[in-house]
Amino acid sequence: MTAIAPRREDDALLLKPRRDPFLIILWIILVTFALVWIAPVVLIAFTALKSNAEVMATSAFTPPEAIAWNNFSGAWARGNFETTFKNSVIITVIKVPLGLMFSAMAAYALARIRLRFGKLLLLFFLFGAMIPFQVMLAPIFTLVNGFGLIDTYPGVILPYLAFGVPYQVFILHGFFKAVPKELSEAALIDGASHVTVFRRIFLPISLPVLAALLILDFVSTWNEFAMALVLLQDRHMWTLPLGLMSFQGQFSTDYGQLNAAIAMTVFPAILVYMIFQRYFVSGLTSGAVKG
Amino acid sequence: MFNSKIMQSSRAQALMLIGPALAVYATFAIWPMIEVVFLSFQHWNGLDPHREWVGLENYRYILTNDAVFWVALRNTITWTILAVIFPPTIGLLLALGLNQQLFGRVPMRAVYYLPVIIAPIAVATIWRWMYDPFFGLFNQVLTSLGLQSLISDWLGDREIALYSMFVAYTWQYVGFSMVLFLAGLQSVDRSLVEAARIDGASRWQVFRHVTLPALRVTLAIVLVLSTISSLKAFDIVYGMTGGGPAQSTQMLALWAFMQSMQIFDFGRGSAISVILLLVTLTIVVPYLRWSQRDEGAGE
Repeated sequence: MTAIAPRREDDALLLKPRRDPFLIILWIILVTFALVWIAPVVLIAFTALKSNAEVMATSAFTPPEAIAWNNFSGAWARGNFETTFKNSVIITVIKVPLGLMFSAMAAYALARIRLRFGKLLLLFFLFGAMIPFQVMLAPIFTLVNGFGLIDTYPGVILPYLAFGVPYQVFILHGFFKAVPKELSEAALIDGASHVTVFRRIFLPISLPVLAALLILDFVSTWNEFAMALVLLQDRHMWTLPLGLMSFQGQFSTDYGQLNAAIAMTVFPAILVYMIFQRYFVSGLTSGAVKG
Repeated sequence: MFNSKIMQSSRAQALMLIGPALAVYATFAIWPMIEVVFLSFQHWNGLDPHREWVGLENYRYILTNDAVFWVALRNTITWTILAVIFPPTIGLLLALGLNQQLFGRVPMRAVYYLPVIIAPIAVATIWRWMYDPFFGLFNQVLTSLGLQSLISDWLGDREIALYSMFVAYTWQYVGFSMVLFLAGLQSVDRSLVEAARIDGASRWQVFRHVTLPALRVTLAIVLVLSTISSLKAFDIVYGMTGGGPAQSTQMLALWAFMQSMQIFDFGRGSAISVILLLVTLTIVVPYLRWSQRDEGAGE
């Protein structure tokens, strides 16, 4: 009964050797363009590993000769990374799973339980996915301040949840809606509750979509700057992006350390992306665009 | 009797499942949107317990007395138009190219997507450094190519600063459009493409009459998302120029933030926010109606 869909890999077609001049020219253009595109990242990586003297003496794309690992320890200490890194980890590790859980629960109910205002509720959520919160930083500050939550973890996690939920509900709703009825009907007739059906059937099959959403949400939470700027005023509560901004202001001429600071800020997001990326395009396709 | 009981209990379960998401969303996303409208009719410094009701005064002020508002509005419009044209077009071309059976297309996709993962504030830091008039990469490269005449103060010259910033923005977001188009291209019927090719259609004809029609929905999504993400350009402006030099790269989202959180005039800041919200709604509401109608027709 294990119905595994045949894996449709078009990679097999890749091996067909066809020397089409159009494709060769296309390939050359794409590779050249890709080299230009990755150049800034290479520049950061190289500079982060050079001493300041070497930064001045060598050209930008010369690989570092003597690797200056101490840029990293130096930036870590001066940039207060211990605090900002810890804060970013705490906020992201709480917010991302919690948000995905809330969204999956709501999306299941909206997609699979007949509700009188179901469609209206879905539209209400969808609306939020389209509204940029950068527009409303002041009222968000006023609200969180009213709850006395400025400079606290809940004070930043709750708004993050609020602005992450709509898009995830939208994507997961599309996915759950497309699941064949037969899969859940038998269990429901046997007397299982919706909560059980959701947990035992729908959560497991939606893992690829959840993985794709996890990447998106991890990256946007990890990188979020504008709301943190407004809600986290005390430097002991700062997240990595706030720390980086301040580091740039203070030590902008220490190029090696500045680039080490950039690398340390960016690296965890890249790591998470690389771990989960094989789900990324397939997960997006199943929910978003085909909808 | 039995049936209605089931319905009742399933309604209770639905409520329980939707509850947490709805509560947090309504409180922390929808309420501020309502609050910002109230604030825009008030005079308030953000701390004082007393908020003075001033009617349309804030709107009158920013529309008639605030020269920066008009600069910010013009920049926001320019930025949005550029953001709807360039990143999606480049993203579409890349997606079409990387959808071909090419050697190394998977790592190339990863390269183009990489900047999307980098924090916008880090992108701002990276590009600010590359634009540095003395030590920056751009002027170094121009010097070594013997093109000293093209050397500029990329972020310090108010004629070009906005466009310099936009180049960084494009670098970051092209991969985003590309991935959406790649996902959309998976729904293009391969046999249709092959049949058209065998019948002698040129590559352009296949694109025009087979691929492009199939990408209609994706195209709409990409354009709407590009518009919205351009309206929220905040981090990159804050990090690269802070709206300078002399407010020449100011944008509405940043100006609303500065009015409220730095000048402590919540009323005027909120009035700017409301104007930006209205602009957003004129794009979002028609799109939502269109997408709902589309879904209804499909059922």
